[in-house]
Amino acid sequence: MKKSIRGSCLFLCFLAIVCATAIVAHAQAPAAAMAPSADQELKDAAGKAPAMADLAKGDPGGTTTGTISDVPAADSTKGVTVPDVANQVGQNKIAINFVWTLVTGFLVMFMQAGFAMVESGLTRVKNANHTYMMNFFVYTVGLFSYWLVGFAIQMGGAAGNGNLGGLQSLTGEHTLTLFGKTWGYSGGSGMFLAGHTYDVGVMVLFLFQMVFMDTALTIVTGACAERWKFLAFAVSSAIMGALTYPLYGNWAWGGGWLAQLGVNNQLGKGYCDFAGSGVVHAVGGITALACALIVGPRIGKFNRDGSSNPIIGHDVSAVLIGCFILAFGWFGFNPGSTLGASAAGNLRIGTIAVDTMLAGCTGTFGALLFMWMKTGKVDYSMSGNGLLAGLVAITAPSGFVSPTSSCIIGLVAGILVVLSCGFIENVLKVDDPVGAISVHGANGLWGVLSVGLFADGTSNYGGAWNGVTGNVTGLFYGDASQLAAQLVGISTLIGFVFTFSFLVNLAIEFFVGHRVSIETEVAGLDLPEMGQLGYPEFVFKAEPDYLAHANKEAVAAAA
Amino acid sequence: MAANKSQGSYYTLALVASTVLCAGIYEWSGGMGKLLVLVGAAGILGSLFGMKGIKPLEGKIAQKSSPFVMKMVGAACSLLGWIITLFGMHLTPSTGGRIALALVGIAVSLFGIIVVLPAAFNKNAIWKT
Repeated sequence: MKKSIRGSCLFLCFLAIVCATAIVAHAQAPAAAMAPSADQELKDAAGKAPAMADLAKGDPGGTTTGTISDVPAADSTKGVTVPDVANQVGQNKIAINFVWTLVTGFLVMFMQAGFAMVESGLTRVKNANHTYMMNFFVYTVGLFSYWLVGFAIQMGGAAGNGNLGGLQSLTGEHTLTLFGKTWGYSGGSGMFLAGHTYDVGVMVLFLFQMVFMDTALTIVTGACAERWKFLAFAVSSAIMGALTYPLYGNWAWGGGWLAQLGVNNQLGKGYCDFAGSGVVHAVGGITALACALIVGPRIGKFNRDGSSNPIIGHDVSAVLIGCFILAFGWFGFNPGSTLGASAAGNLRIGTIAVDTMLAGCTGTFGALLFMWMKTGKVDYSMSGNGLLAGLVAITAPSGFVSPTSSCIIGLVAGILVVLSCGFIENVLKVDDPVGAISVHGANGLWGVLSVGLFADGTSNYGGAWNGVTGNVTGLFYGDASQLAAQLVGISTLIGFVFTFSFLVNLAIEFFVGHRVSIETEVAGLDLPEMGQLGYPEFVFKAEPDYLAHANKEAVAAAA
Repeated sequence: MAANKSQGSYYTLALVASTVLCAGIYEWSGGMGKLLVLVGAAGILGSLFGMKGIKPLEGKIAQKSSPFVMKMVGAACSLLGWIITLFGMHLTPSTGGRIALALVGIAVSLFGIIVVLPAAFNKNAIWKT
C-alpha cells in the first residue's frame, strides 16, 4: 500500500515537473523566436537593399539612397544586428542635435554683422570706422577671453545635458554651503578647452555659448559710441567676456545658484531664462548703462538747461538692413537654445520660432505706432529699436509661452523701448547714441519678468527644468513662485551685475581713461583712433549749428 | 593723444600676461603653475601701470571730475538691494513675502542706479557750464 502511495506521489511530481517545464518553454518560445526574427528581418532588408550596380545608375528620385547598407555593422561577418541599429539611432539623435546647435550658433554669429550696421548707421559719419571696428574687434577679444577662462567659469559644471551626449567632462562646479543648502557659484573645468574637455560635445556647447557671450559684449559698444577710447573699449570687453558675463551665465545656465532656486528654495523651476533676455541682453544693457554713466555724454548732446539735442545717424539703410540681419539671427538665438532638435521635447522649436517672429512684429508695431501718434512721423530708428526690443523681450520666455502671449510681450516691449529711451535721455541725462540700454537693458529685464507671468506650462523639455520635475508655469497660469524666482534674477542683474560692471569700469577709468580727448571727439574718432575715415571719398556736411557751437566751446575750453 | 604704439604694446602685454596667468591657474597643481600665475599677474600689473603712465598724454577730455563718495554710495545702494533680495528668500517661506522682499531689493538697487549715480555724474557735468 505504502509503495503504491509513494509511486503515485513520484508520478505526480514527475507530471508536475513536466507540466512546469512545458509552461516555461511555451512562455519563452515567442521571445526566443523574436531574436532570430529581428536579425532575420535585418538580413532580409540587407538582401533587398539596392546593389552597387543599381546605385551606380544614379538616384534622381532619392528613393534608393540611404538604406540599411549605410548602417555600419560592428561585425561585418554577421551583418547589421539590432545593437548596431540601436547605436546608430542614438548617434543620429546626437548628430541631429549637434548640427542643429552648430547651425543656429552660426546664425547667432552673423548677428555681429547686424549689430555693426545698426550701431554704425546710428552714429555720425565721422565715427563710422571707429564704430565698425569696435563691433569687429569685440568678436575677437571676446572669443579669446572666453576661451581662456570665461567658458570654464560659465559652463565648467554643466554636465548632464542629454541633448549633446551628456557632457560628462564638465563636472567642475564650485559650490558654497549657506543656510544649510549647497549653491553653485562658478564652473571650474574647461579652461583652454584642454584636458578631458577636449570633447566633441563640449566643442559644440562652447561655440554656441561663445556667440551668445559676444552678443552681450557688442551691446556696450553702441551705448558708448562716438567718444569711447579704443584701448579702454578693448580692456573693458576682455574683462566682460572673461568674468562679468560668464559669472551670471553660470548662475543661470551653468547649474549655479539662480538655477537652483527651485531645488533649494521651492521657487518655481528655479530662475528660467530660455535664450538669454537676462543672461545676454540685460547683462549687456546694464553694463552699457554703467559704462555710459562713466564715459559721459557726447559734446553737444545736452544744453545748459538740461534739454537734449538730437544727434542724427548717418545711414538709414545700414540701420534697417542691420535690424533685419539681427531678426534673422534671432532664429538661431531662440530656437537654437533648445540645444537640440531631437527628443526631450525639442520639437517645440517650431513654436519658439513663431513666438520669436510674432514678438518682433508686435514690437515694431508698438514703437512705430507710438511714435507716429506722439510725433506725427514714422521714426526709422525707433521702429528698428521696436523690432529689436520685441525680440529681446521674447528671448527669455520664447520656450515657455503661447503665440498670443508672445504678441503681448512684444507689444509691451515696443512701447517700453520708446518710454525708456526718453527716460534715460531726459531724466537720467545719460547719452546712449543707439538706444542700447533701453533695447537690451530695459527689455531684457521685461523679458525675464514675463516668464514669471506668461509661461503656460505646456512646454516639457524632458519632464523637468533646472532639476525640478514639471513644466515652467507663470503667475497667470497658477504658479506665483516662478515670478519670485524671476524677481530674484532681476535683482541680481541690477544689484550685482551693474555694481560689478560699474566698479570694473571705474578701475579702467583710473588706469586707462575711457574718454577720448576733446580734439579727437570734435574731429571724429575715425582719423585719430583708426587712422582712416570710414568713407574717405565723402564730403562731410557741416554739423547743425547747436553741435558746431558746442564743438567750438569745447575746443576753446580745452585750449 | 589719439591711438598710438604704446597703447598697442601695453594691450598686447595685457593679453599675453592674461594668457600666462590663466595657464598658471590651469596648471596650478603642477610645478610651473604658481610661477606662471606670478609672472602673469606681474605682466598684467605692468601693462595697467603702463597704460596709466600714458593716460595724461590723452589731453583734455569733455568731462569734469565727479564726487567719488557719491559714486560709491550709489554702487553700495545697488549692491545692498541685491543683498536684501538674497536674505529675503530665507527670511520667509511664503511666496508673497519673498516677492515683496525682492521688490524692496529691486527698489533699493534702482534708487542707487537711477537716482544717486546720475546725480553724482551730472553734478559737475560739462554741459552745465
